[in-house]
Amino acid sequence: MKHEVTERGDTIIIALKGEIDLESSPVARELLLGSVTGKRNLLVDLSAVTYIDSSGVASMVEALQASRKNGTQFALAAASEAARRVLELARLDKVFTIYDTVDEGLNA
Amino acid sequence: MSGIPPGGDRRDPERVDRRSSPALKGHLELLARMSGHLAVTLNIEDTIQKALELIVSYVNAEAGSLFLLDDNGTQLICKASVGPVNVSGLTLKSDEGIVGQCVTAHESNMVRDVSTDPDFAQSVDAVTGFHTRSILCTPMSVQGVCIGAIELINKKDASLLFSEPDLMMLKTLASAAGLAIRNARMAEELVEQERVSRELELASEMQRSLLPEARPEPFPLHGVNLPAHEVSGDFYDFYELGDGRIYFSLGDVSGKGMDAALLMSKTASLFRCLGKTIDEPATLLATINRELCETAIHGMFVTMVCGILDTASGEIKLANAGHEPPLIHDADGSFSSIPASAPPLGILPLKVDEHDIRDEIFTLAGGTLYIFTDGVTEGDIGNGQRLGVEGFKEIITGKADAPLAARIDAVISSLKGSGRKRHDDITVLAVEDPAAGRQAGEGSAPLRSISTLTFLSSPEELARVREAVRETCQTCGCPQAVTRDLLIAVGEASQNIVRHAYKDSDDSPATLEILCGEGILEFHLRDMAPPVDRQILEPVWPEEVQAGGIGLCLIHDIMDEVEYLPVESGTGNRLRMAKHFERDNNET
Repeated sequence: MKHEVTERGDTIIIALKGEIDLESSPVARELLLGSVTGKRNLLVDLSAVTYIDSSGVASMVEALQASRKNGTQFALAAASEAARRVLELARLDKVFTIYDTVDEGLNA
Repeated sequence: MSGIPPGGDRRDPERVDRRSSPALKGHLELLARMSGHLAVTLNIEDTIQKALELIVSYVNAEAGSLFLLDDNGTQLICKASVGPVNVSGLTLKSDEGIVGQCVTAHESNMVRDVSTDPDFAQSVDAVTGFHTRSILCTPMSVQGVCIGAIELINKKDASLLFSEPDLMMLKTLASAAGLAIRNARMAEELVEQERVSRELELASEMQRSLLPEARPEPFPLHGVNLPAHEVSGDFYDFYELGDGRIYFSLGDVSGKGMDAALLMSKTASLFRCLGKTIDEPATLLATINRELCETAIHGMFVTMVCGILDTASGEIKLANAGHEPPLIHDADGSFSSIPASAPPLGILPLKVDEHDIRDEIFTLAGGTLYIFTDGVTEGDIGNGQRLGVEGFKEIITGKADAPLAARIDAVISSLKGSGRKRHDDITVLAVEDPAAGRQAGEGSAPLRSISTLTFLSSPEELARVREAVRETCQTCGCPQAVTRDLLIAVGEASQNIVRHAYKDSDDSPATLEILCGEGILEFHLRDMAPPVDRQILEPVWPEEVQAGGIGLCLIHDIMDEVEYLPVESGTGNRLRMAKHFERDNNET
């Protein structure tokens, strides 16, 4: 897994790339949770995710719960087919706010 | 002179009848009491003492002793004694004294006055201080064989002298006592036999527990062991190494008794224990040989074959130490054999090389390997004929299309058909090509093993698992969308092994085998971790979204069939997942 962090206004955009599995999900988890501590919103770009397993999904669920406590926004954007499929199967596609594109998420 | 006049034994018939009626009743009572006592105690010494007490009191004697011949018949030992002096334990030569004479001549004797009898062993009175006046003595015989004698001393009346009717009485009672003693001896023997047979039964049970559990098709190995007696000098065993390879072995210990059975148990245990770390059959046999030589029981040896089957490729690595050559029945019907490259184990040190114990490597390619003991080939098939290797081949050829277990059963029943008691243990172990077994076992949807991957219980290994799934799905013409789902499901199942089954270890092996049939893919995940709770196979979607617990729901949503297959007792888990799909012709 690779990742890229950019900032746009009050939103941090984290782009996760490649395969997020048990090996890499601890990195993703730390990254996501570390980014919801401040006052800024978090938008996760999943366009380049080729594989994500339940441990990767779990780290996103945790980040969502943390941001709710923190009073900030947490959303997903541009989910790749692989990511969308897992979210669907896990019935989490309605739990997360998922924007079709990163821009859409930024403008919301 | 009081007592019975000379010739008093020749009484008139009237008198005998009058006397015999109450006497007979008394005898029967006595017999009943002796037998009753025996039934309570089942103890021979108690029985003898009690019988003598009853006789002494019944004949109204002052003292009595009961002598039994020892096992050699050379000595008479006093086993019971009644009266003022206890002579129990007194030993006489078998022809010494009046008792000895009585036993030797096999005749009763009455000495009205011992002071005039040359046969009386004066030495006894000299030791005991007892004054013997008159003696009655009669041998005890059971089925014509003398086992000892009963001697009564001094009639308890004024004269102290016995009479002829007393002797008649003693004769009758002695035969009853002889019977009681025989019964007690038989009871003792029965108890001993019972004990021995119970121990044999335990030993037999213990040995059976050393044999591996039969596994359902399509497991590629099947074995049978029929001991000729309670315990066996043959054995076979197999177990999975956890990486898709199966270790197997068959051995025959020289001899058939309990010593052979114990050596068999030792050898079988060595195979099980050492095989877990030595995965070269020849090296394993050389190591077992060293152990057996170190604690050699002179003259005993073990012929043994052991090998490793790689279930992914059907390749077998096999070593043979002095055992009857195993047969390979090829898919084309031809036979070949693997002669022993080394002598039996337990005789001489073995070297692992070309000229001594060595591994033979071959691939089953749809064929079957048969390993058997000489109890099979030398087994009687009726009319004094032996099955022989040719007979074995004939039966196997005739049943070539039958499942593995049925083929072995056919061989075994040809031997049992003779209806005679077996002389030797019968043991067969067969190993078939895993691919062939699965085709036979699956009926309408034959499956082929496409790939087998062994991975360690560490997160870094999961990418390799997905790569294997991806490649195999492509090979099998599985559509991309299905492949993507299978990657998720198999990934989750593998992740469960890493995270849960092997939660305390990151280098324990697990195996993924992928099988493909027409429109179906099967994934078999095998680990050697403690058995998981099968309950977790029924996932329940949590009301609230929980971070954990999603994996199982994903597996169930994606796969059409999810089940745990049976494994040998207590060793790990075997998860089978199956997915039906419509072949994507555009992508192949």
